[in-house]
Amino acid sequence: MSVRIEEPDGIVLQARDVRFDWSQVPLHWIPGDPVASHLINVLHMLLPAGEEWFVRVFKEAVPHIRDERLREDVLGFIGQEAMHAASHDGVLEHFVAQGLDVRPFTRQVDFLFEGLLGDRGLTGDRRRSWLNERVSLIAAIEHFTGVLGDWILNAEALDRAGADPTMLDLLRWHGAEEVEHRHVAHDLFMHLDGTYSARLRAMAETVSMLVALWQRGHRFLMAADPIVQGRIKGGLRHLRRTGPAGLTPDGRMMGASIRRYLRRDYSPLREGSTAQALEYLASSPAAQAALR
Amino acid sequence: MRGDIPPSLFGKRPRDPFWVAANAFFNGLERVRSLRAPVVRDARPVDRSLRLTVRAVRREAADVVSLRLAAPDDRPLPAWQPGSHLDVLLPSGRRRQYSLCGDPADRRAYRIAVRRLPAGAGGSLEIHDAVAEGDSLSVQGPRNAFPFLARERYVFVAGGIGITPVLPMVRAAHRAGADWRLVYAGRSRASLPFLDELREFPADRVRVRADDEDGVPSGADLLASAAPGTAVYCCGPAPMIDAVRAAFDPSGGSTLHFERFAPAPVTDGKPFEVELARTGRTLRVPADRSALDVIREQIPTAAYSCRQGFCGTCRVGLLAGDADERAVSDAADDGFLICVSRASGGRLTLDL
Ligand SMILES: [Fe+2]
Ligand SMILES: [Fe+2]
Repeated sequence: MSVRIEEPDGIVLQARDVRFDWSQVPLHWIPGDPVASHLINVLHMLLPAGEEWFVRVFKEAVPHIRDERLREDVLGFIGQEAMHAASHDGVLEHFVAQGLDVRPFTRQVDFLFEGLLGDRGLTGDRRRSWLNERVSLIAAIEHFTGVLGDWILNAEALDRAGADPTMLDLLRWHGAEEVEHRHVAHDLFMHLDGTYSARLRAMAETVSMLVALWQRGHRFLMAADPIVQGRIKGGLRHLRRTGPAGLTPDGRMMGASIRRYLRRDYSPLREGSTAQALEYLASSPAAQAALR
Repeated sequence: MRGDIPPSLFGKRPRDPFWVAANAFFNGLERVRSLRAPVVRDARPVDRSLRLTVRAVRREAADVVSLRLAAPDDRPLPAWQPGSHLDVLLPSGRRRQYSLCGDPADRRAYRIAVRRLPAGAGGSLEIHDAVAEGDSLSVQGPRNAFPFLARERYVFVAGGIGITPVLPMVRAAHRAGADWRLVYAGRSRASLPFLDELREFPADRVRVRADDEDGVPSGADLLASAAPGTAVYCCGPAPMIDAVRAAFDPSGGSTLHFERFAPAPVTDGKPFEVELARTGRTLRVPADRSALDVIREQIPTAAYSCRQGFCGTCRVGLLAGDADERAVSDAADDGFLICVSRASGGRLTLDL
């Protein structure tokens, strides 16, 4: 009989020193399904630049926090995101080595996070206001990383499809840490700003950008893939097959989660389960190896 | 100033129309926003500390005392789960973390236990010598860096005062009817706290090992009862945890859990100086402390995270001096990880 415990609370967030060996991982890591593989691979192109941007913005926010416990959470969050960025970067290098040159796309992602959303050289209140604006965007993005984290932890169809175990461990380790720290960006936003209008605006901008980048990223990968060679055209319409098959998230799930986010009493803690995330981290090959 | 608009994905156009449009949209938003003065407020300060009264001080072993802490008006305290700790702010201003070792079902009081460490930094001496029944202490928490997960089989390994987070886990496992074993080791029986409480449990589940009777146990001795599929929860001195880590076999679905909140102690450190270029101050870093610890006293908002040299959060520019580059990632550029790296001699100038 297994011990029943309540949902863990007050978890101290700590980065885990994980490493992954990509050398044996095929490009189409969901066997025979380049379409579904690349729908998820788009994330590998967005996350390194995006999460490094989280780190820069949150480091800038730390001196403005007037809540010691939240500051600790934010510092733990920063370390976890830095490790996520570095780990997805490793996947990208492996893609390039296998003849899938992702650099034209990542250059555009860099432009988004370093150019459009970067430091604008502002001072005083304008700097603070731009900081709060970016924190609101990160809170909206983190809603999705939490939802996606919860999805990947439960995506048994990927196991049944024979997905590559190293890739699954990367995605689930990352997803589990996203679930583990899912409250931090929202807490920080509520502490620094907290206005509902800013949350609405941030979600609208995030959804538009996410849909555009996912669509463009998938079309790019399908066209640049050295095996597919453009024979299948990429795009989000493929979600109509891969979503119900459980190989990728689907539009309906994402839409329902957006409606939850827009409720005034939204709490990220209601998305996903900390116990399940910690359970995965306790058995994740990469996270367990980081303990030894 | 923001970098150039990137070329289109297959190089047909020097400026991708999507990003031309996105750039125009963002610039437009910025222009609208700049029309009026921004409204920013400072965050409202949040004080989460609790003022608790020491209700009882009890000697639990030769050099261990336990404190029972409760609210002055006995109101229920924030709930906690096995593995949680409190941050105790001592009268001297020191801040120490102690595992909660009471019963989570008792919502009126927290219990912590402290071993006297004459060679330590003074926190334990302060509790032993200066804290008495009726005193009031400020605490923060509870927080959990050692979460206890639902499993069917457990092996608990505790060394000395490391029994404190394990005791509530043992109780929870026993209440739930899980299959569990505890190996509890220490220098001598007289040094081990809570042996009386452990007598409540079936004798075949608890094994007490005293070094002076049984010798110092190896990792394999400590894990002897860990069958495949066991969750091993270990808390004790660093050499014990290292031994368990080395002997642990993850095959068969076993998992290993230990508390990770303390950064590893500095090994073979030499004292050195850091000059903070932006603030113009020079700080002395003693042999047994990290540059981060010393710098945080001056700059409490300095960002850091893992404190072990892998996440890179605390990297700062190294303007002058020679670093010993303890972190693997240090060698890559002119950055310096203040959480682990040190000077190979003399003084370092940092961009802080
Ligand atoms: Fe992440
Ligand atoms: Fe995240």
